[in-house]
Amino acid sequence: MEPAPRGSPPAHGATVRSRYFLRQVAQAILTVAFIVLVNFVLFRMMPGSPERILLGRNPNVSAEALQQTKERWGLDKPLIPDQFVSYVVATVQGDLGFSFVYRGKPVTQVLAERVGPTLLLFGLGELIAIFVGLAIGAYSGWRRGGPVDYVGNGISLILYSMPYFLIGMGLLVIFATALGWFPTYGMVTPGATYDSVGEHAADILAHLALPLATVAIGLIGQYSILMRASVIETMNDDYITTARAKGLTGGRILRHHALPNAMLPAVTLIAVNLGYVVAGAITAEKVFNWPGLGTLTVEALEARDFPVLQGVFLLLSISVVAANLVADLIYGVLDPRVRT
Amino acid sequence: MTAPVLTSGELRRQRLALRARGWRDFLHRFGRRREGLVGVAILVLYTILAIAPALFVGPLETAVTATGGRLQPPGTAHILGTDELGRDMLNLTVHGTRISMIIGFLATLVTVSVGVVLGIISGFVGGRTDILLMRITDFFLVLPTFVLALVLTPIIRDVLGGGGEILGIRISLLVIVVAIGITSWASTARIIRSQTLSLRERAFVDRARVIGGGPLHTMWHHILPNVINLIVANAVLVFAGAVLTETALSYLGLGDPFQPSWGQILNAADQAGAPGLGAWWYLVPAGASIVLVVLAFTLVGGALDDVLSPRRTGRR
Repeated sequence: MEPAPRGSPPAHGATVRSRYFLRQVAQAILTVAFIVLVNFVLFRMMPGSPERILLGRNPNVSAEALQQTKERWGLDKPLIPDQFVSYVVATVQGDLGFSFVYRGKPVTQVLAERVGPTLLLFGLGELIAIFVGLAIGAYSGWRRGGPVDYVGNGISLILYSMPYFLIGMGLLVIFATALGWFPTYGMVTPGATYDSVGEHAADILAHLALPLATVAIGLIGQYSILMRASVIETMNDDYITTARAKGLTGGRILRHHALPNAMLPAVTLIAVNLGYVVAGAITAEKVFNWPGLGTLTVEALEARDFPVLQGVFLLLSISVVAANLVADLIYGVLDPRVRT
Repeated sequence: MTAPVLTSGELRRQRLALRARGWRDFLHRFGRRREGLVGVAILVLYTILAIAPALFVGPLETAVTATGGRLQPPGTAHILGTDELGRDMLNLTVHGTRISMIIGFLATLVTVSVGVVLGIISGFVGGRTDILLMRITDFFLVLPTFVLALVLTPIIRDVLGGGGEILGIRISLLVIVVAIGITSWASTARIIRSQTLSLRERAFVDRARVIGGGPLHTMWHHILPNVINLIVANAVLVFAGAVLTETALSYLGLGDPFQPSWGQILNAADQAGAPGLGAWWYLVPAGASIVLVVLAFTLVGGALDDVLSPRRTGRR
């Protein structure tokens, strides 16, 4: 990150803080604007008439619908600025055109139906991975060169080199096909009826187990590597030496001096890495046919359902930017040094 | 330095001697990194397979020339088993090596070239150019670039239309190269820019400017040679990322069945329902190859980074 321009007189804490927050928010808004611009360029790059693409290449649309679409997106006006402005307005209003596969369904609605399963899978996966990954990383960094570090680092490196879907396929072959402990695909047993909510939840849980394990295992490797490096970096800092000189015990130094400081860069890196995690998310969902955004993406790819693909790109990009913004803001609250 | 005026021949000899010493020094230091050597060994093996796959397993088997039965487990006739069309898995995997490595290599070439050019210009020219380029770079750093590549690939293919080949590689695969290149240059540009910024302040760059070297001359003859180390170390890591991205794109269905890469093989395995049928031999050869190659690149990249980057010497 660039250092902020100097020159303004040192303001008191609150002003500095709000200025830092404002800059982060402005940056995020700019990034989202960029994303919409990229989406517009992609949309106009596609061969074929744009109004047909927006209507999901549905051959049986009425002349009025075509005309309506043309007007909505300003397609008979010049490209810049009219079409671009119309595109931005439509996007902001949540109008992303219509799906090709799901005839006539608006893209926004298609996306909304698939967000839930993805959030469930990745929210839980992230949570588990952050706890376990950071713990393993912190311990192996603390006991650098020890047996846990040696084994843990080796496994982390291998996991790091492994695409999520490979982890998933391995788990699937072993625990679903060979051992039969878990169902192989989907989110619920097809055609099942449930006597109670608990039974329904249990069925979802059984289907969730393997995809969740896939995501968590994939992330744990990354997070433990990050945390390990961060702890090692921190251990070289002067205040750790000071703490040692004061005669504090090892455990106390780790908990009260090293960990809080090592945690910050690790958490930021986790936010920065979200963009890559999203990629893993898509492939992991495909392995298990988990009915989230990833599987939707694959279906859209197969059918060349461009409005849906663009919708997925827009939604995921904005989510990643938002997550980064939140991480930056939290960082600003926790670490006074960045608020310059 | 007390060297008096040197003739151009002496100068060249001196420069060569320096370079040779640099190489010896580098090899000596790299040779002490055991994990780096393991990585190099793995990469040499796969490079040989990629250069001449037909030498080891004959031409790529097709549905017509398949030599085995449907989904046979590993046995004496097919040591790695067969796929749902009866094709030999060893044959497929070795030929997949070629495709995966070529796409990885070309994508790395594009990515690193874009990153280096933008990084050097941004750092050297500075001012508004720098601000604009770095804004764009930051944008690509936050973006889930894989998803962008995922959207970009079918669109470019639609624009270009049909099949066709360039230098024996199908256009559909070259599109993947371009998509990876467009989306993953940002971190390279960042690294090269920061190194350029510090080089720009050094005396030899001033000297070049004073004796009349233009900006292009200075960037090419004075900045570029001094970031080569960084470029090499970075390219190795970019290669690992490119192989992973290609694998994921192909697995999701953007590969080319006529020139199957490892990711495409795994996609075919998925289509054939191999995981549900317990046909582990369909997954293991390509899967293990991906992990080995990416791991090897990561190991070599880490070792190179330690040996080549000036900031790291003396630490660890």
